[in-house]
Amino acid sequence: MKAFCRTLAALACWAALDAGAANIEVIVKTAGGQPVEDAALILEPASGNVPKLKTHANIEQRDREFVPYLTIVQKGTAVDFPNRDKIKHHVYSFSPAKTFEIKLYAGKPAQPIVFDKTGEIAIGCNIHDWMEAHVLVVDTPWFAKTGANGVAHIANVPAGAYRLRLWHPRQKAEAEIKRIELTNMPQKRMELALDVAPRAAHAKPPADAGY
Amino acid sequence: MHWLKLERRIAIVFVGLVMLMMLLMLLLVQRSGEQIVLAEAQRQLAAGRMSFQILVDQNRRQLELAASVLASDFSFREAIATQDRPTMLSVLNNHGSRIGARVMMAVAPDGRIMANTQQPRQSGAAFPFAALLRAAEDNGHSSDFVRIADGRIYQVVVVPILAPVRIAWIVMGFPVDNAWAHELSQTSGLEVTLVDAASGSLLASSLPESRYSALTQSAVSLRDTPQQVMLNGHHYHSVVVPLGQQARGILLHSVEKSEAVFRKLHQTLLVTAGAGILLFIMGSLWLARRIAGPANTLAMAAQRIAAGDYSLPIAMRSQDEIGQLAASFENMRLGIAAREQKITRLAYEDSLTGLPNRVRIEDRLNSLDSTTEATIVVLDLDRFAAINDALGHPVGDQLLQQVGARLEQQLPPGQMLARLWGDEFAFLLQGMDKPTVQAFAQTLLVALRAPIEVRGQRLDVSASLGIAFRPADGVDINALLQRAELAMYEAKRRQCGFMLAEEVGPGPSPEDLSLIGEMRDALERREFILHYQPKLDLASGRVTGAEALLRWQHPERGLVPPGRFIPFAERTGFIREITPWLLAEVVAQAATWRREGRAMVLSANLSARDLLDPGLVALVRDQIEQHGLPPEALCLEITESALMEDPALAQAHLTELARFGVKLSIDDYGAGQASLAYLKSLPVHELKIDQSFVRSLASAPKDAAIVQSTIALGHALGLAVVAEGIETAADLAWLRNAGCDIGQGYFIARPMAVSAFADWESGKRAATPEPGKVAVAVKV
Repeated sequence: MKAFCRTLAALACWAALDAGAANIEVIVKTAGGQPVEDAALILEPASGNVPKLKTHANIEQRDREFVPYLTIVQKGTAVDFPNRDKIKHHVYSFSPAKTFEIKLYAGKPAQPIVFDKTGEIAIGCNIHDWMEAHVLVVDTPWFAKTGANGVAHIANVPAGAYRLRLWHPRQKAEAEIKRIELTNMPQKRMELALDVAPRAAHAKPPADAGY
Repeated sequence: MHWLKLERRIAIVFVGLVMLMMLLMLLLVQRSGEQIVLAEAQRQLAAGRMSFQILVDQNRRQLELAASVLASDFSFREAIATQDRPTMLSVLNNHGSRIGARVMMAVAPDGRIMANTQQPRQSGAAFPFAALLRAAEDNGHSSDFVRIADGRIYQVVVVPILAPVRIAWIVMGFPVDNAWAHELSQTSGLEVTLVDAASGSLLASSLPESRYSALTQSAVSLRDTPQQVMLNGHHYHSVVVPLGQQARGILLHSVEKSEAVFRKLHQTLLVTAGAGILLFIMGSLWLARRIAGPANTLAMAAQRIAAGDYSLPIAMRSQDEIGQLAASFENMRLGIAAREQKITRLAYEDSLTGLPNRVRIEDRLNSLDSTTEATIVVLDLDRFAAINDALGHPVGDQLLQQVGARLEQQLPPGQMLARLWGDEFAFLLQGMDKPTVQAFAQTLLVALRAPIEVRGQRLDVSASLGIAFRPADGVDINALLQRAELAMYEAKRRQCGFMLAEEVGPGPSPEDLSLIGEMRDALERREFILHYQPKLDLASGRVTGAEALLRWQHPERGLVPPGRFIPFAERTGFIREITPWLLAEVVAQAATWRREGRAMVLSANLSARDLLDPGLVALVRDQIEQHGLPPEALCLEITESALMEDPALAQAHLTELARFGVKLSIDDYGAGQASLAYLKSLPVHELKIDQSFVRSLASAPKDAAIVQSTIALGHALGLAVVAEGIETAADLAWLRNAGCDIGQGYFIARPMAVSAFADWESGKRAATPEPGKVAVAVKV
């Protein structure tokens, strides 16, 4: 069933490409010109017609950190929280979009967490205060997050009108939603600005400190 | 008292110096103490300030920690996240009471209060300290001292609640009150006060409440640098520490606390210094006494010496300068004592005989109690003047020495013999009754009877003694000597060896004594005058002569009777000065009257002393020759007793005078002891019967018989016989019948001055037809 679904999505994409698709590349920088990592770039089609592409994601706990820091998922995606550390973790979220708690566990929890509501979800570990992860649940399959160089790519976006939303877990102000028209152009480049606060000073102690 | 001064002075100098030193030391200690106290106070203030700040910070961190612990509580976070207010309040209360936080709040990220334990019902109000939130946003946490709604001040911390992003703030506040201040005060060692930064009003303090107002008044002027401040008379060092936006901490260090240590040190030092000074005073006094003590001993020794007490030797064995001084003092003492002894000897000793002198005997007598019995015996050699004149002073001195030695042999033990002057000696006898004294006087006379040999010449000496008893005859030495001398003169006159003063009488009265004193002046002032009493030839009734009688016309007393002063003149020897004047006057008067045709024999009296005077003959001759008077016109009357003083010498002088031609008359015949044989040998021309016989002619038949026989005797010896004191016609007639040659007396005529006599004589001559010869008489 899962395989079937995946195939179906791939087919849909393909069809979109056929109808004419665009690649979009955005570089996000702070006002000071520094590239911003982990900024989410979301394209929401004005038509509201969103295909479901991906339905699963992993947020690992590795080396007492959530990896990745930011995960963008389409509404309804099930996310697993596999624990790769030797110690246990207690993953929780009080965010209204998805409140959950996976009490002390090792290995992969039996059930993934399904994010079925759009919104921003901050995830922490109750026993490791510095561990922090964010899940942005969107209702579109076209999204990407910037790397360390502040660049994010979204490929094969069918031409059409979109709302371009930029978000970051530590953004100082909500970015303005841009309306863009994607044509059958091979590449669209954009440069966006977003001010981001530094990560909270919850320093992670060394591993042998017993945390 | 001077030694004491010296002693004190030494002590004062020493002690003063030590006290000065101590004072300087104390001042130094005080000064450096003050500096040290100041430095110590500042150091303690700085240290206290540091510990205060550390404590405040620590409190803050503990609060933050507590807040953080709460903030990470899963259930609490869940309650926050789910907006579960009752649970939030419950957790806040629970945690607040756990750590003693009075204020517990949860504040939403937008600054609205979600829960407040102080006001459980309130929610949605804005958190009043936005700055705290901003600071916490920047730093992850924040704290301050703020006033919360209840008006009290709190140390407040704000920490975020992360899940893991901030979902709220947790605000915790600890009350800042006096307990807080006391706790900090105890740990920091400073007085801790919190005041409102704006108004300066006191918020909390560890100070006693009584100093609040003083501190509030000073608070405005206090700075964040150390300074000094007085609170109700208590001395503090202060520093101001800012505590957040609304409060200031005032830290006070009590200088007195630091001073207390030094005060104790000071007291110890004072006590030590006091004890030291006391010890030093005692030491100085001891030392000063060691110096001043011997000086004092010497001073007292010097005072003793000054007072004439040389008996105590000055014994001081110390070898130092004082000891040397003492040795010098001792030498001085011995020297002075020896010299004084010598002086005393010289003062009290007669240098010729080695006997005590008059001063010594005076001292001895004066030392006696006024009632103590004693006897003074005065001894005077007879005719010593003649021996001295004839043989020279050296012989006289040797004679005196030998007489002194001989008398000293007779001196009973414990009695005193002294040489008064010239040939006069005196005994001071004690404890001897009258008969014993008389017997002693007799032994003295006997002792002198043996001849004394001087330079090969054997000299016969005799002496006359006068004896006066104390206190019957007088108490003081002068009175006793005078009485004894009067007795001695009387004995000499009577040739009876010795006489007692009580037998002689008291001697001259003070008036007499003053007369005696005035006699010398009288001669110079020509107060002596001569009166003449006629001598009447009884057979012819003519005036044949006159007796010159000495009178004293005293300027104040008037005419002084001869009996008042002539005996004294004789006794004192002054008569020897009067006689030359008298002789000159008489001779001159005789010559004058002779020139006037009054050829009379003038008589002058001679005393015993005059008679014994070796110059007598020469004197008479000189006067007669000077005035060209026939020697037979002068008659010299000598009393029988005067002759008997030294019959041999008298005879020698009289013989010479007779040879020269002067007439001689024996006066007062019948009163003395002259033998007829002696009378017979004298070359005299006239015999004057003693007045006492003439006066009693009528009343005493025996006297008449004596007069009768004397007239016969005189005639038998070829002498003219003169009767004096004829006062009645009957006497005159009787005497004429008895064959008396010459008469004299008031009945015939009183003694008269020269002019009166001349008138009287002229008248008498006119009444008496036949010119006659001269009769003579002299009475002085």
